[in-house]
Amino acid sequence: MIGQLLAIWQADTAFPSGGFAFSNGLEGLAALSGPIDEMELENVVANALRRRWASADRVALARAYRVADDLDRVEAIDREVEASTLAEPFRLGSRRNGASLIAAHARIGTPGAREFQGRVRQGRALGHLPVAQGVLWRGAGLDAASAMLASGYVALSGFTTAAVRLGLLGAVSAQGIVRRLLPLLAELAAAPLPSRIESFSPRLDIAAMRHARGEVRLFSN
Amino acid sequence: MRPATYSEGMGPSAAGRRRAAELVFAQGGGRSALIRQIAPYPFHITRPFALDAERADLATLYLQSASGGIYRGDELSLRIDVRDGALAHVTSQAATVVHDTGARPASQHTVLRLGREAFTALTLDPLILFPGAELDTRTEIHLAEGACAIFAEGVAWHDYSGEGRPFGRLSSETLVFDGGDRTAVIDRATITGAELAGAASILGAGAGAFGSALLLGPTERLPEAAAIEDMLDRTGCLGGACAAPNDMGISVRMIAPNGGQIVRAVEGLFSLGVERMLGFEPARRRK
Repeated sequence: MIGQLLAIWQADTAFPSGGFAFSNGLEGLAALSGPIDEMELENVVANALRRRWASADRVALARAYRVADDLDRVEAIDREVEASTLAEPFRLGSRRNGASLIAAHARIGTPGAREFQGRVRQGRALGHLPVAQGVLWRGAGLDAASAMLASGYVALSGFTTAAVRLGLLGAVSAQGIVRRLLPLLAELAAAPLPSRIESFSPRLDIAAMRHARGEVRLFSN
Repeated sequence: MRPATYSEGMGPSAAGRRRAAELVFAQGGGRSALIRQIAPYPFHITRPFALDAERADLATLYLQSASGGIYRGDELSLRIDVRDGALAHVTSQAATVVHDTGARPASQHTVLRLGREAFTALTLDPLILFPGAELDTRTEIHLAEGACAIFAEGVAWHDYSGEGRPFGRLSSETLVFDGGDRTAVIDRATITGAELAGAASILGAGAGAFGSALLLGPTERLPEAAAIEDMLDRTGCLGGACAAPNDMGISVRMIAPNGGQIVRAVEGLFSLGVERMLGFEPARRRK
């Protein structure tokens, strides 16, 4: 039972993980495409879960979780995430989110958090969010499956929370999207891990790239 | 002739080919000479042209498939070495069709190796994926100190029967290695044709093509990301540009209604890149 509670604790938006500052490209997409209706938003989020979270973030998290007690190997995964995140706003956002999560866990006293934070401060590791999740959540006692679900839920709710704050839809409609995508998330979380980190989200990449030079922005990406 | 019929008419040799082409450019006598060329069927190359009066040492060579495209089970590889100080542009005159590969996906492996202060642009017209096409591509770009490269690729899809059947799958991998042979950029993706169909397309409704580009080299020899986006806007592409990982250059993404607009966007990227990397406005490459 404690494993499930730990996952809920980490997926809770009240946990100070820094995600509130990031729209995952949604703000840029709204600026590029105009109003996004509920059905289109659901498609965008579902595609991002399939072709970014499940194929990139999930893989990095699982690998980092597996080798969390060997930070040299964690650093190699971190560098692969850096090299394979082509859109700079997502690259910087992932590092900033990771830094916030590491800082929170270091203060709480999660085993391994301070050591990993030290590596990031030395520049040896980059602290990308999925890598940090793998290291910290293993230290915090989450089992691998729960860590995967918590990561997926954070990604899903990150999109819908940003959509509400951008005024793209109401809070209740956003929860409708979350509910409808939970089965997809469960299916993706349980799927065999791909052999490589890969992603395909050119529309969100473009939106985030262009948004980064926008003069009026609510979110960092 | 329907593409499938064409493929069948070619007999057994039209499918499952394993072929490797190799081009080596080297600087000498005020030009970039093609000092080694291996181009077995289905590769076909022209001689190198000097198309730019400002830099006669920039060699431009057209690369084509002599067989009408890529067929089931094909394993095609291309290696381009551009030695220290040499300048080479390898381009194409038309898109490459990837036919229905059935149970045997095709693969295409490209290696670009640039010496010190060398320049290479590889700007091929888009792949056109037919229904049932499955293709794995892998591109490696090795950059020595001071080298600059432009690598652009595009993908479109088409069902000649008009039934809107999707292509099968495209898996791509582009790796950039810096002077120390560290893997500095990794761009990997897998997508199925079904995910690009209709209003729920991952590219957005109405998209019929997409592309990616890398402009690689020292920061002071790269165009501004904003200038790239302005150019893409003028071509009708939805595009974005930003700093690539590990200070290797600029990364570009493009989405367009059709492959023709990706072609124009890639021409624009080549022109902007050459202006900053080599210091002149290149002549238009005739197709």
